[in-house]
Amino acid sequence: MTGLCLQTDKLTYSFSKNEPALNDINMQVEEGCIYGFLGANGAGKTTTLRLVLGLLKNQQGNINVFGKPLKENRLEILRRTGSLIESPSLYGHLTAIENLSLLQKIYQCPRERIAKVLEQVGLGDTGTKKVNHFSLGMKQRLSIAVALLNSPSLLILDEPTNGLDPNGIIEMRELLKHINRHQGVTIIISSHLLTEIEKLVTHVGVIHKGSLLFQGTLAALQNRQLQASVLKFDTSDPVRSLRVIRDCGIEVHAETGKVVMQMMSKEKTAFVNAQLVKNDIAVYAIQTAATDLETIFMNLINE
Amino acid sequence: MNQYLNSLQSEWMKTKRSAASWLVTGGAFFIPFIIILIRLIKQSTLPEAYRAPNFWQRNLAQNWQVMAFFLLPMGVILATSLITQSEYRNHTWKQLHATPQRYATIFFAKLTVIILMLLQFFILFNLGVFLSVLIPFLLLKNVSYPVAVFPWLFSLKTNATFFIDCLPVMAIQYLVGLQFKNFLVPLGIGIGMLTAATFAISWQYGYIIPYSYSLFNFLAMSAVKDKPVYAVNIHLVATAYFLAAIIAGYFLYVNKKNKC
Repeated sequence: MTGLCLQTDKLTYSFSKNEPALNDINMQVEEGCIYGFLGANGAGKTTTLRLVLGLLKNQQGNINVFGKPLKENRLEILRRTGSLIESPSLYGHLTAIENLSLLQKIYQCPRERIAKVLEQVGLGDTGTKKVNHFSLGMKQRLSIAVALLNSPSLLILDEPTNGLDPNGIIEMRELLKHINRHQGVTIIISSHLLTEIEKLVTHVGVIHKGSLLFQGTLAALQNRQLQASVLKFDTSDPVRSLRVIRDCGIEVHAETGKVVMQMMSKEKTAFVNAQLVKNDIAVYAIQTAATDLETIFMNLINE
Repeated sequence: MNQYLNSLQSEWMKTKRSAASWLVTGGAFFIPFIIILIRLIKQSTLPEAYRAPNFWQRNLAQNWQVMAFFLLPMGVILATSLITQSEYRNHTWKQLHATPQRYATIFFAKLTVIILMLLQFFILFNLGVFLSVLIPFLLLKNVSYPVAVFPWLFSLKTNATFFIDCLPVMAIQYLVGLQFKNFLVPLGIGIGMLTAATFAISWQYGYIIPYSYSLFNFLAMSAVKDKPVYAVNIHLVATAYFLAAIIAGYFLYVNKKNKC
């Protein structure tokens, strides 16, 4: 069993007395995983991540990173952490190399890391071009390079795909997968779009209005997806069909002239079909109505 | 200590091509440049002026006149505000505070950079002052090199006192600049205080305004009649204001709730 890279315990924060931004957030990020932190705009993702990085003064609750309390080990934790919080944090009057050089002085990492991370994010040839003249996508890539500079064990990326084109998103996804698999870096990536990160993450946390609604593996979320999907039977006699299926011990209801039940195995579907036919009910069509992960996510935040 | 030196190097790198560094260079040479132009235009009086026994003192006073009254405090207000605002403008406070550095290291490294830029300004200004003498001498045939001995001690003392006198301006602007995201706040406070200092110049308690010391210092070294006389040593008051503002600035910075 792997340990926890990040753990928050009853993390609560409010910007003003009457408006709590976070309520008892118990986040658990396993070592070596890619944790997708999902939520609509204003849900509390950035506030949580800022607290984890010590950018906001913690009001209530505990934060442990690498098994150590953040409060007493801030510098040690930050030395092993890379981050990108919201908009790119770059000095516009400097070049990409200069931006990385001034951080290299602080981290005291090998100077070769600068060329390496620039190459990794596809900015190896920007030369003397000032960051002010970069496109938003280039700035975002450079921000990722900044986050990778100190070879972190934990990478915290808040909405890193902002400003990236579809190709850039795919490249970034591959890059993050690569550093996760080959360097064992734990990654926390926040987004308001599940579709954007579902191909990348192993674990998911869903936050809404400051509360963590779901936390678990992507498989657990997909299981919810399966449970939320339905099977529809179009038959010659829907009323009798309901009775026959209920007699088989299956929960069922009618919907626009069709018989609707929760998704089940192929064998069980064949069995229900056989029972209907056996009772002289003609089955015209069997349809599956799958719920995508995005709908699950929306259902979670609307519950 | 190593962390502080690394941080200082990092902070110094940020000044490269920055607005603050252009301001320091441009501001330092501005007055000497104007004086060179005036000397080249009104060259008939130069041969006699260059021969005067107190030529260097007069040259220094001429250069410091506008500088002390307006450009020096204004330049300090602008440069200090630009250094702190650079982090707000580039959204880099959050990145800086997510680096493994103590807040004290960040605070004092930035402060050191501002002090170094102020020193750089004084060095460049003195170079400009010297060029304002040398260039007319090199360009005009009837002007000979000043016969008077260069007053090193007087020059050093003048520079040192003006340097001390603008330290409280720098410290207060640093304090305000770290607290407010909007560039207009430190700028407005700076201009407001400078205006107040100008009005308070003839008031017997004018020295309580921390932006007034370079003005007072210039009046003290000038030949102006009815110059204000204070019961206190303004350089000591300036030093006290500087230390108080730095302590207050550090306390406010470290305890800031939101470090983004």
